[in-house]
Amino acid sequence: MAPKITLTRGTAQYQNLRILMWVSLVLFFLLIAFAYVDVGSIAIGSNKYNLSLIRLNKAIAYSVAILGLQVVVGYTGQIALGQSFFFGTGAYISAWLVADYSWPFLLTLVIVIPSCFLIGMILGLPALRIRGLYLALLTLGLAALFPTIVKLDSLYKYTGGAGGKLTTNKITGSQYKFAPPSWLPLDGIAQALQKIPLLGGYFGDGPLSNREEARMWKFILFSLVAAICFWLIANLIKSKPGRAMRAVRDNETSAAVSGVNLAMTKTISFGIASALGGIGGMIYVAEVGIASPDDFSSLVAIYLIVGLVVGGVGTLSGAVVGGLVYALIPDWASSTQSISFVPQRWLQGPTGSLILGLLLIVLTLFMPGGISTAAKKLKNRFITIQTQSKLTNS
Amino acid sequence: MDLFLQRLFDALTNGSTYALIAVAMVLIFKATTLINFAQGEQAMLGAFIVLQLWKWGIPMWGAVVIGMIFSGILAACLERTFIRKFDPADHLPLVIITLGLFLVINAVAAIVWRFDPLSFPQLFPSGKAVTIGDARLSWYSIFAFGSCLLVLFILQTLLTKTKIGLAFRAVSSNLESSRLCGIKIGKTLQFGWALAAAAGTLGASIYAANPVLQIEPTIMLRALIFSITAAALGGLDSLWGALIGGLTIGFVQSVVVQYIPFIPNEMTLAAAVVVLLIVLTFRPSGFLGTKTVERV
Amino acid sequence: MKNTLLDVDELKATYGQMEVLHGIKFHVQRNEIVVILGANGAGKTTTLRAISGMVETTGRITFNGDSITELGPDYIVGKGIAHVPQGRGTFPELTVEENLKVGAFIRSDNDIKADMETCYETYPVLYERRLQSAGSLSGGEQQMLAVSRALMSKPELLLLDEPSLGLAPQIVEGLFARFKTMNQDLGTTMLIVEQNAQIALAMADRGYVLESGEIAVEGEANLLVNDDAIRKAYLGG
Repeated sequence: MAPKITLTRGTAQYQNLRILMWVSLVLFFLLIAFAYVDVGSIAIGSNKYNLSLIRLNKAIAYSVAILGLQVVVGYTGQIALGQSFFFGTGAYISAWLVADYSWPFLLTLVIVIPSCFLIGMILGLPALRIRGLYLALLTLGLAALFPTIVKLDSLYKYTGGAGGKLTTNKITGSQYKFAPPSWLPLDGIAQALQKIPLLGGYFGDGPLSNREEARMWKFILFSLVAAICFWLIANLIKSKPGRAMRAVRDNETSAAVSGVNLAMTKTISFGIASALGGIGGMIYVAEVGIASPDDFSSLVAIYLIVGLVVGGVGTLSGAVVGGLVYALIPDWASSTQSISFVPQRWLQGPTGSLILGLLLIVLTLFMPGGISTAAKKLKNRFITIQTQSKLTNS
Repeated sequence: MDLFLQRLFDALTNGSTYALIAVAMVLIFKATTLINFAQGEQAMLGAFIVLQLWKWGIPMWGAVVIGMIFSGILAACLERTFIRKFDPADHLPLVIITLGLFLVINAVAAIVWRFDPLSFPQLFPSGKAVTIGDARLSWYSIFAFGSCLLVLFILQTLLTKTKIGLAFRAVSSNLESSRLCGIKIGKTLQFGWALAAAAGTLGASIYAANPVLQIEPTIMLRALIFSITAAALGGLDSLWGALIGGLTIGFVQSVVVQYIPFIPNEMTLAAAVVVLLIVLTFRPSGFLGTKTVERV
Repeated sequence: MKNTLLDVDELKATYGQMEVLHGIKFHVQRNEIVVILGANGAGKTTTLRAISGMVETTGRITFNGDSITELGPDYIVGKGIAHVPQGRGTFPELTVEENLKVGAFIRSDNDIKADMETCYETYPVLYERRLQSAGSLSGGEQQMLAVSRALMSKPELLLLDEPSLGLAPQIVEGLFARFKTMNQDLGTTMLIVEQNAQIALAMADRGYVLESGEIAVEGEANLLVNDDAIRKAYLGG
């Protein structure tokens, strides 16, 4: 038996540990940023696995979209599976504003959030009558529809048709630049890190190029946007509307009896989920530089569900894990070119899809809480956190 | 007029295929109120097996029959391994499992047969059977529709005249009383899964045998949406409803959309989704479905 | 004990976290009609469901000398126990005739047709409606069908769960009279769960009173009818 640590909520020791944990998490995050700003890779055998900021930025985009699924599926219990629809809507609106009206990416959120919120609410209206499997059916149908909608000739002006919408500025013909503010000495930090003995080599060498600086700034910005989203949702879940959502999930009838407005709760939850999908889409298109129809197909909707389930339905940390899984696993699967005893043929083609599908099945069968619940269980085996007893205090 | 007739003929062709996949979904929904999102992929895999057998020199229709049996057995195994342990009333895990199967089957087929389109054996005589003016009704269309009717007729007979068919209908009607009558629920549902997969494989084979189509791992993706809509239109628990639903969707796809100028051609999918939305919102029991089917 | 058909001892049943039966003991003799009385939520339905294997149970259930505690419902029917659940339990989408066929699902002998004829003779109205769907029958007709369906499995013991529920008093009387003749003529053993104590005790040989998952009173039916406590609690004074 491993030694068990018991902590009591509210004591100085607990507070210190908490602060220490958060500080080290943020530091770790930044170190990763500096280590992988240059396309980094890990070699295992003859295979090279990339772990660059590009992928981490995508992971952030997916995490925010999956956070939306957590709200509607995980907390409100509505089987709405068409998140790619809103992911795409956010991406396209953002790309359009940036390219045609020279808006900065972050500012597009002013339009993306309310419009996705509204579309989500409107599309959620039928869901007040349609439940369970029927809703799953319909939302997947919507997801399948998205690429055909943006490919419409009449929308070509805004969406760029089958070729997709570049975020390149229409007038100047240049890409939007994520330039870090002058007071932030990213370059200096990078060089300081490189001087660390032994480990310095992991942080590349020489000053950061402009592109690397921009990439890192993007990473920091996106992480902040995502952190704000997570913080807001974490508070929402604890608040009264959040309790209403969980009540609807657990038992609609008794929720209605105890005074929860079913229609309102569901519609708002659809709206919030869609808005988060839109924010994710903005981050995605800011990273990729183009919104193309096939990036928002129904397959993407299913992959986001994979992220939801693998991370853990109904947990916030599950959304982070899910985003990483979606961004990294298919990519790593296709980077794997050789494993002993496995025929070449099985390593080419859609191995990522195969692994995600298997993960979906295996986790649902054997680990219904997903990775984040499993991690929590593991943590509880070593650390016990007690709530301070009020009785002994007084 | 000829053009209209031609489109009506096209509607018959597409509608029959949608109906066959829809029938497969209806079979499973009837018994378990579960929509199997992997149904289309199971059918696609079955069609690839048929193609492979045919390439190995097995006569065409023999290959189809073996392919149907194979996918039936596979579906029975899938039901036993992945579906039976879940509470049928708890939809989310079941939806997720079938989505997982969807991904896995699709990926396996793509790994084994690649994404390149392959030509499928011609199951039916080629050429046109009837010509009215400029409108041509091909033998393929006639046989596709005929097979659809035949399958429905066989299923109908199987469900009403055999003991296992009776058990299947009893389970669909009242699960608890079925158990009290000594019916083995798991085995009966497994039978339903096998039957559905076999019907789906036939549907996909007929679809792929369309002279203007080739088979590839993504062949059923689009067809699945149309088939689901067809099944929902028919009421999700009615076999003949699935046929009517399939033909209606085929009709919407090739006639209605063509004659409404402001709907672009690619919007047939949208038309299907809108139809689905309207049906589910206002008449969840479809054309022929049981009124009490709102067991959601 | 040679004549004991069903023997239940230390029977406990739980739904989720809640224990509904706290170790009850009772038995049914061959050719007997035994009634279990009790208020709503006393555990009457659970008792029957435990016998036919529909709920997880601990304890001992012996039928015809064999333990059936561990068996699932599909095997228990085969042992000779038929269960008419609360609320009829017919198959509304199936025809009357198909309902009877499903009732005989576990049988493979050649007498099924003949037994179906017997059902039709007992309840001619079922013959008239044999091709209609069971869902179109009236409440009383559905109850007849449910009982006939259960009898089609040729049971040694018939479990009836509140057969009087939702039926008009005259129909209930007719139904119970039929149960009595069935018991006298064919020797069918019955275990009936009822809230309508008056009519049930009038027909039964023995009775048990179930209170909050425990047997509170047991005895001969005619003694129970005259028991003051029972009269107060279940017979309305």
